[in-house]
Amino acid sequence: MMGGTAGYLASRLVTTVLIVFGAMLLLFSLSVIVPGDPATALIGPQATAAYKAQVIAEMGLDQPVHIRLVRFFSAVLAGDLGTDALTGRRVATVVGSVLPYTFLLTFLAIGLAVLIGVPLGCFAATNRGSVFDHVLAFISVAFIAIPSFVIAIFLLLIFTIWLDWLPVLGTGTAGDFVDQAKRTILPTVALALGWIGFIARLVRSSMLEVMGEPHIRTMRAYGIAPWLITYKYALKNAAIPTIAILGMGVGRLLGGAVLVEIVFARPGLGRLIYDAISARNYPVLQGAVLVVVLVFVITNLIVDLSYSAIDPRIRTQAGREALPR
Amino acid sequence: MNPLVTIRGLCVDAATSAGTAHLLRGVDLDIGRGRIVGVVGESGSGKTTLASALLRLLPANISRISGEIRFDGEDLLTLDSAAMSALRGTRIAMIFQDPMTALNPLFTIGTHLVDVQQRGTAGLSRRDALTRAEAMLTTVGIPDPKRRLSAYPHQLSGGMRQRVMIAMALLVEPDLLLADEPTTALDATVEAQIVQLLSDLRKDFAGSILFISHHLGLVAELCDDLCVMYAGTVVETGPVAEVLAQPKHPYTAALLACEIDDGDTGRLTSIAGEVPSALSTPPGCVFASRCSHRVPLCDHAPPPFEQLGTRGTACLRHRDLAS
Amino acid sequence: MSPPTGAIPVIVRILSTVGGAVGAAIVLAVVVAAVFAPFVATHDPDAINVFQRFADPSSAHWLGTDQLGRDLYSRLVHGATVAMAVALAAIGMALTIGTLLGIAAALVTARIERFILILFDIIASFPSLVLALAVVAVFGPSTVLVVIIVGVTLIPHFGRVARAQVLTLKNAPFIEAERLLGASTLRIVFRHFMPNIAGPLVVLASMDIPVVITIEAGLSFLGLGVRPPLASWGGLIYDGYSFLSDSKIPVIISSAALGLATLGFTLFGEALRDAVDPRLNRDP
Repeated sequence: MMGGTAGYLASRLVTTVLIVFGAMLLLFSLSVIVPGDPATALIGPQATAAYKAQVIAEMGLDQPVHIRLVRFFSAVLAGDLGTDALTGRRVATVVGSVLPYTFLLTFLAIGLAVLIGVPLGCFAATNRGSVFDHVLAFISVAFIAIPSFVIAIFLLLIFTIWLDWLPVLGTGTAGDFVDQAKRTILPTVALALGWIGFIARLVRSSMLEVMGEPHIRTMRAYGIAPWLITYKYALKNAAIPTIAILGMGVGRLLGGAVLVEIVFARPGLGRLIYDAISARNYPVLQGAVLVVVLVFVITNLIVDLSYSAIDPRIRTQAGREALPR
Repeated sequence: MNPLVTIRGLCVDAATSAGTAHLLRGVDLDIGRGRIVGVVGESGSGKTTLASALLRLLPANISRISGEIRFDGEDLLTLDSAAMSALRGTRIAMIFQDPMTALNPLFTIGTHLVDVQQRGTAGLSRRDALTRAEAMLTTVGIPDPKRRLSAYPHQLSGGMRQRVMIAMALLVEPDLLLADEPTTALDATVEAQIVQLLSDLRKDFAGSILFISHHLGLVAELCDDLCVMYAGTVVETGPVAEVLAQPKHPYTAALLACEIDDGDTGRLTSIAGEVPSALSTPPGCVFASRCSHRVPLCDHAPPPFEQLGTRGTACLRHRDLAS
Repeated sequence: MSPPTGAIPVIVRILSTVGGAVGAAIVLAVVVAAVFAPFVATHDPDAINVFQRFADPSSAHWLGTDQLGRDLYSRLVHGATVAMAVALAAIGMALTIGTLLGIAAALVTARIERFILILFDIIASFPSLVLALAVVAVFGPSTVLVVIIVGVTLIPHFGRVARAQVLTLKNAPFIEAERLLGASTLRIVFRHFMPNIAGPLVVLASMDIPVVITIEAGLSFLGLGVRPPLASWGGLIYDGYSFLSDSKIPVIISSAALGLATLGFTLFGEALRDAVDPRLNRDP
């Protein structure tokens, strides 16, 4: 059995490494095919030829493509994401300084979504066809369908402009925890609403599926209390597809976070990427995107491991093909 | 002594997209105390519905249940759901057809066996429950029971899982054990082992068993009484040896012939014709369309179930058949 | 119950649910607006009138005007054209390439299958909006780029479904029989696989429409997608949001329009899925 676990882990790791390499290759290719070249894009066409040559040499752009490729890969593998073209700071430092904001936002949002979505889904499944079930179904679709930045704009209009309950823009005064917390509420809710609906629906349908399985009938036949059947036996089964899909949704969540950060003028990866694009600051953009991809694949790896922790059968299987989507 | 279970006129209908299906059409059956009653019949004859009705765990599409199921004098069909639930896993236990899916794949054997006991015995500690479970696993012939308790269902073979299910049932010391084709999903050799186990366990088990099977030979080996079902009705009952020696219903006789032919030549003789659809209600005997002893009267009204001492049959011509 | 096969029963099933009917109505409205924009619109969407800035909704301007006095209703209608064109082009591209790759993965060697699957994993691992940002940073904002980026990110979506469908069909007895009779792989693909995988892929395509609309709107909101003055929903929201202090009406109306459209397409897509594939909405 241990061999199976190790093999499974190894195959997941290989895929993960390939994905990161693929992402790096793509980012590198993009940097090569930048129309004109990154140096001109950065310093503008009016710069003197000498200055341009100097910048090109500094950026290593005078080297043949294959050398640049090797340099890029070895630098990234050594943890060096390059230098901020504008400020000369390390890109890793720049990205690292805003990462906590985005992490805080996404973790709060996903936490809120799980905390509210899972019980809602369970309740809807056990009270199938009730008014609550129908209302939840409609609200869920609405929250899932409406883009998070649209939700963000409406939250801002309602709670800040009309009701004047919550300040929003920025992260708040440094050191003033209450102010910071207040300014985090609306972005978190804007990002979480869609996920609450999504998780509630996912848990509901998984629960209904599980509730029809023979092993649940066994528990009923032995008179096990309904709450124990629902929250101990069935929920653990329903958690597997839920977690699997959540892992794949992290990408969408990060995309949503970028827009929400911009709506609420919060610092973070979104803001960083946006500003890097506006300033044609390709090294920062490259680093930030690479970090997003890393976060994403690591999350997926954790998700994989977590459901192999939940489901003893996976430990002996290779790959995730057998799992529901 | 009055029987443990007395079923009278039990009808179960299900609503399907094609119309109302009559799953049970007025079943009469007694389960004596300490007896093993074998229920045989083809698939679709209502055997599983009968077992599910005894636990009142019928599918959601059931549209009508009528008649009565007296369990130790109490009519199960009139109990409220709390009282019914109180009987499940304490006085009535069940073993299912497919041991591969009857256990939750994400929980250990130990967890299953502990929860089942703690539900019936208030205040039983997990440690004591595990000790009892370990002993019971030994009883049902599972080697290395301590290790098995921390195993997950997928780590056990089908036969082992069915032994676990049997252990689960025995742990709650039920008065009535429902075994719904417990060996059908297993290999022939494993099937023989499980049947052997069940007949060994008989000595220590005081309760009654309803043993459902489509295999007449198996029932002959294991059971005291026999109940033959056909298209949602009971066509014949009686002590196994007597029924098999001299069936009083043409369907039992035909079933017996199939079984014997199968053994002799390896060729399966089937009964000509088809089981009537559960959606239709024949005016007379449900078996008439396939019966070689059919007379015009058979199609007029359903034959009454006649009780003659220990034997019972629903055939107008059972006297003619005997000669 | 057997799945409905013809178009009429599917439409009846969609319209028989509240969500499906509401969704279908919104989808119809958006599609009509998109196709007949010049006739549905009341004004030239780009006609600037500085004396009519931030006009309230009136009989002349049904939904009011924006910061340049342009008719908001007409701009929304023309925005529908852009949204639908982007959605159609991106999904059409993803559907074609994804299906071909998916079928290839299922039919050719294991090594190529592994390669295609890893390719799908890599593409799917790129949070699509972030990928779009990286590409836009290099090439600058453009509608065509938006189409290509979104199309590429959706390829694995269709590819995986196509592959899974073909894998289940591949060893079906009727395919084996065809093979034994000497049918070429190409014939089997077009005669048997295509018709059988079309249903799930069309459902998938319809469910991806709101996803594409959202990404396009998000990019245009950032000023990185469809370029002004071409009216796009994301751009309209951005304009409204930028001039929030002048008037709240444009941002409310354009956000509501986008929200309503994505909601409508989602409701429609789900109703279509349930109508085409009864397995998915069966009673467990």
